[in-house]
Amino acid sequence: MQKTMLDRVERVADDVVSLVLRGDEGPLEAWEPGAHIDLVLPNWLTRQYSLCGDPGDLSAYRIAVRLDPLSRGGSEYVHWYLNPGRALEVSSPRNHFPLVPAAEYLFLAGGIGITPIVPMLRAAVASGAAASLVYVGRSASTMPFAAELVDTYGERVRLFSGGRPDLEELADFAGEVYCCGPASMLAAAEAVFPRVRAERFQPTARVFGPDTAFEVVCARSGATIQVPADESLLDALNHAGRPVPSGCREGVCGSCELSVLDGEPEHRDDIGAPPGRMYACVSRASSPRLVLDV
Amino acid sequence: MTRTNTLSTRYRRVSMAEVRSRLGAPEEMLEGKKLDHVDKHARRFIAHSPFLALATSDAAGRADCSPRGDYPGFVKVLDEHTVALPDRPGNKIADSFRNIAENDGVGLLFFIPGVREVLRVNGSAYVTDDPDVLARMRTEAKAPIFALIVEVAETYFHCGRALLRSRLWDPASQALAAEMPSAGEIVADQLSLAVDPAMFEQLLEDSYRKLY
Repeated sequence: MQKTMLDRVERVADDVVSLVLRGDEGPLEAWEPGAHIDLVLPNWLTRQYSLCGDPGDLSAYRIAVRLDPLSRGGSEYVHWYLNPGRALEVSSPRNHFPLVPAAEYLFLAGGIGITPIVPMLRAAVASGAAASLVYVGRSASTMPFAAELVDTYGERVRLFSGGRPDLEELADFAGEVYCCGPASMLAAAEAVFPRVRAERFQPTARVFGPDTAFEVVCARSGATIQVPADESLLDALNHAGRPVPSGCREGVCGSCELSVLDGEPEHRDDIGAPPGRMYACVSRASSPRLVLDV
Repeated sequence: MTRTNTLSTRYRRVSMAEVRSRLGAPEEMLEGKKLDHVDKHARRFIAHSPFLALATSDAAGRADCSPRGDYPGFVKVLDEHTVALPDRPGNKIADSFRNIAENDGVGLLFFIPGVREVLRVNGSAYVTDDPDVLARMRTEAKAPIFALIVEVAETYFHCGRALLRSRLWDPASQALAAEMPSAGEIVADQLSLAVDPAMFEQLLEDSYRKLY
């Protein structure tokens, strides 16, 4: 974890605040556009926020947080109770939404989904690629960074407030499509473009087979742990005295990533586990036994 | 049940009038700090409180008090007059719910580890399964089945003398735990069972593994 000090809290749209977290012990860890951090809140909750500042400035991280009316205590805490001067721990940046090299980019952002897109658009433009942004919000006042984006990138940025763009018009776009926004926006993008690189804030509603028990071999100690049907792999490991860090516990943040050495994981996350990896909070096993590098 | 042969029956009962005359009038400042709503200080207190005691009573006035706890802020302040408590899995006895069904008056006492003052919230309550309320209480991908909605009639901060005298937050006070038999030993003894208390201990530990 990295120690930071909350330097600035600034309202950047209706119900959205931007936080500047200054590194307390020299430069913060480097990050690439698309990356997010875990922010550990004083109320014991850990939440994931995309970095929306400048990757060239490692003196501080910048994030933006929308107050969720159905907040469980994360965004509500940030909005109501965090004041400048507060010491806050953040994780190393993780990136499940990396910018791949391309000649042409189309970025689709919905509401607070603009946060990872801001540095991605900047990097894409800096690379000399043809890059454009379609940014959708309920109304202009709910869209953080909209004015700055238009000022900086001019016609590359198209704003839609209170209405939906017709993505069909862009259907012949052949470059890389990146989308961050609500599930309805992702679905619309996926209906039009053959491949959409997406980051989700919420787990998708999917149906899995019944949870079954399986066995885990911890390769480092040789210990065998039983994971009962009514317990997650994460909980089983923690209860067996092999603590695994975790964040969202619903397969979107990636903080509980484990290396799989043998066996077949049944992936239930929304990140898209890289080969040989799995997320212990939601994923289970389709083979009776997994060998994990723990 | 009324007993006749216990010490509890023997002592002089002092009337409220006499209590009042001997204690003197309450400090006016203290009366003034009672509010009829959740102000910003009470809201902040609740947002940082991981534990409260919930007092209820049934139609006949028989009283009960039960502990509730989770991460700080597990009790949601929905507006100035409304707070919501999740009902996490427990022993399924539902004493509080049964009482509230008969008598909706409740008293809540919120604690924050390290803070000497406590927050008292009194009002009337009912059980709900409103999905928007439950959604705010989801932890570890599970929402509670029920929540308690409390319509707030009174909130106030209670002074820290009791917690100071009790040294409740002094880490040295935890040495008291060593003087208690284990829960397994107590249960085995209370049920007069000739079984290994370690077995109860294990059952209890197993049940504590799953908190949600």
